[in-house]
Amino acid sequence: MVVLRDGMCPGLSEEMVVALRAADITTVEDLLSSDTEDLAQKCSVSYKALLAVRRVLLAQHTAFPVSGDDLYEDLMSSTAIVSTGNSSLDKLLDSGLYTGELTELAGGPGSGKTQVCFGVTVNISYQLKQSVIYIDSTGGLSASRLLQILQKICKLEEQMEALQRIQVYRVFDIFSLIDCLQSLQCTGLQRASAGGGSVKAVIVDSVSAVISPILGGKQNEGMSMMMQVAGVLKTIAKDFNVAVLVTNTVTRDCNGNLKAGLGQSWSHVPRTRIILQRFESPGSTCSSLRTATLAKSSRQPCLLKEEFDLQCWGRSEDQLYEVSGKRKLEKNSPY
Amino acid sequence: MRVVFLTEMTTTIAKMMENGAQLFARLDGRRSLKDIEPHIFPDGAGPVQGDVVEFHGTEGSGKTETLFHLVSHCILPVDRGGLEVEVMFVDTDYHFDMLRLVTVLERRLGEEAREEDGVAAAESEVQVRACLARLYVVHCSTSVQLLLTLHHLESTFCSRPALCLLVIDSISAFYWVDRSGGGESVAKQEANLRRCSELLERLLRDCRIVVFATTHAIMRNYRHSGQASTASLTPAAAETSSSSSWRQWSSTHASDFDRPYLSRAWQRLVTHRLLFSKGEVTQDKKQLFSAACTTTRTVGAKCSSFCVMEGGVQFL
Repeated sequence: MVVLRDGMCPGLSEEMVVALRAADITTVEDLLSSDTEDLAQKCSVSYKALLAVRRVLLAQHTAFPVSGDDLYEDLMSSTAIVSTGNSSLDKLLDSGLYTGELTELAGGPGSGKTQVCFGVTVNISYQLKQSVIYIDSTGGLSASRLLQILQKICKLEEQMEALQRIQVYRVFDIFSLIDCLQSLQCTGLQRASAGGGSVKAVIVDSVSAVISPILGGKQNEGMSMMMQVAGVLKTIAKDFNVAVLVTNTVTRDCNGNLKAGLGQSWSHVPRTRIILQRFESPGSTCSSLRTATLAKSSRQPCLLKEEFDLQCWGRSEDQLYEVSGKRKLEKNSPY
Repeated sequence: MRVVFLTEMTTTIAKMMENGAQLFARLDGRRSLKDIEPHIFPDGAGPVQGDVVEFHGTEGSGKTETLFHLVSHCILPVDRGGLEVEVMFVDTDYHFDMLRLVTVLERRLGEEAREEDGVAAAESEVQVRACLARLYVVHCSTSVQLLLTLHHLESTFCSRPALCLLVIDSISAFYWVDRSGGGESVAKQEANLRRCSELLERLLRDCRIVVFATTHAIMRNYRHSGQASTASLTPAAAETSSSSSWRQWSSTHASDFDRPYLSRAWQRLVTHRLLFSKGEVTQDKKQLFSAACTTTRTVGAKCSSFCVMEGGVQFL
């Protein structure tokens, strides 16, 4: 709803606003949906002036179509694929997190969602030398764990540089999450890139922690706020060309299969979804093994499955080469 | 006073006049999409000018893939088996994946020419670009913006006779935000969608375009859930089944999530309804999808099943 005010566009005088209000036209939508000719007669304002106002308002408030050709050109020059730092996950994601998209990690407690977020954060800030915005809604962010991962792979001054590129916001309810996202949107992620390098990823761990308390019952404010969060995240991803990574819980459907939480409406929101699970094998004592299943993707066949080790982010490059036996790019893990 | 009256007269007349292109676009310029995909639509009942096709399904049931299949068919040149018409894609979900569309296009263009050398690759790039030039994409983030953008597009549609198809993915994107924004009154909750529908109705009538729109299946169908066959015997179901063919069809074939929940103004426009669902996984690990098409012009439903390959939708 965009309320008509005088001075919001040239030609829209105070008298005109008052006249329109008398005819029950208070918003831009009202004005554009009604017949200009009838309206001019009813409010006794000049048809020409009204038509001019209508044109300006349309130009101000609409989104403009882009030719597919130009969009493709833009996309090819601006899209970056941000490696997660783990070759198995990269394989599922078709070589990494795509900027401009929303990717979701879903998994039960202890399935490694937060650890994967840490790994991705460290990889972007240290290996790719880019900034990350980390929005923590569970209090699960541990700076010492980030440092621990960094300590294993780099020297002291590099550790500090890498940590400076990680901007942390703590929010504990949906209102502060929306607030935080909207202020990031207004500043254009400017402030966050203080540590050098541009912001390449926004991580929200987790969306379900703030959204699930407001859902349920017969009220729809909760649903509305959930969709607002989704909307802001998607516009941030597209407008600033960053990769957005969110985490979510899982539930089981009627056949007992795992599916992402937060219900049907949210299920349409992420472009790519990975479900994380503990790797269950008899006799296995190693608890850092996880399986990742691709549950939604427009690039790869779904239900692809990969196993990976959560500890791979903490391995130094020497260890990496030792295990793999040959020199690989730093983004490749030993598997 | 008389001068004012005269100027108003001239502007009114100017508004009533149209140029040749507009007249052409309005009268006979648009192509019919009747034979766009015989696998999906019933024989002879494909979408013609003025039709609205609703794509309804849960997440991951193949709606977007099918849309890409149809859009690529529209923008491909005639000598490659396409329709060579222009398409306006309104993306409200921010799900439009250009890279995916390009992959589909490349595959369809490369079906005949299979050379791997650089010349062929460069040529295919030029052809893909030529196809993409027939596509326009616009992103909308609120229902108000959608409404105003549709108003703005009205003139675009009038002046471009090659523009035959308007795709809205999805029309239900702002459902929850609008519902909560409208307060207690249902009329207010639905105001924006109602206005969009009224505007679309006018566009369909005056410009003779075809509209494809997706709706997310987010409402669980409690009445029919479980015992679909007994549900059709209840008076309520019998009453609705007499009203239209798809109600009848859905009361016997109901999936859990096929309840139409959007504003009546929108429901009234829809002439074809495609219900998507996810099938089982075959032995060679292919996910099957199925689409059931019901129209207001035919009786019963036309079912088709497909799987999604790298090159797009493949019908079985």
